[in-house]
Amino acid sequence: MGAPPEMKITLLTFAQTRTQLGFAEKTVECQPQETPREILRRIAPQFDPGKSVRIAVDQEYADWDRPIGQATELALIPPVSGG
Amino acid sequence: MKTLIKFVHAPIAPPPAELPNFETGARLEFLGIVRALEAGRAIPGLFYEAHEPMAQRQLERIFQELTARNPCSEILFIHRLDFVPVGEASLFIRVSSSHRRSALLVMDELINRLKADVPVWKRASGS
Repeated sequence: MGAPPEMKITLLTFAQTRTQLGFAEKTVECQPQETPREILRRIAPQFDPGKSVRIAVDQEYADWDRPIGQATELALIPPVSGG
Repeated sequence: MKTLIKFVHAPIAPPPAELPNFETGARLEFLGIVRALEAGRAIPGLFYEAHEPMAQRQLERIFQELTARNPCSEILFIHRLDFVPVGEASLFIRVSSSHRRSALLVMDELINRLKADVPVWKRASGS
């Protein structure tokens, strides 16, 4: 029983979250039991998603506080405005 | 049901208007066009971006949910990305059904869902 194996996840940003975080895409080391909120807090402590920014895990809307498991992609989804 | 979901980076060319089948009695087409004023300020156009694979998945699911209640024979969805000048279309949707009610309801609800849940963003260009 050692520390759980590290895995890598791709973090994508869009619209104002891209400006706030200063990158479009980043590969982040993480662990399956970590939640999106914990990962974001670790790599961008200044970033506050507030109530309006949603998180997508493997291209599905997900809970900020649910462990990511074996996911391979996180995407920050600020309020959408298509059309 | 015939479906198409496409993101393009050039002016939208609506697909040929072939009837999906001879039970189709209603066909609607919607164009979303960029207006000259955004929040009261004159703009040259709008700049659009999307999380394309996720938008595709969300739209496929929305099509299924909407047409389970209101059957349609066709939904074609084309969204233009990058810079779209004033007066040009950023969005094209075609919905066909046997009777008008299904197509009208699906068109209205699809646009509502697009604006609530599909990861596409616009901003006034240059800002």
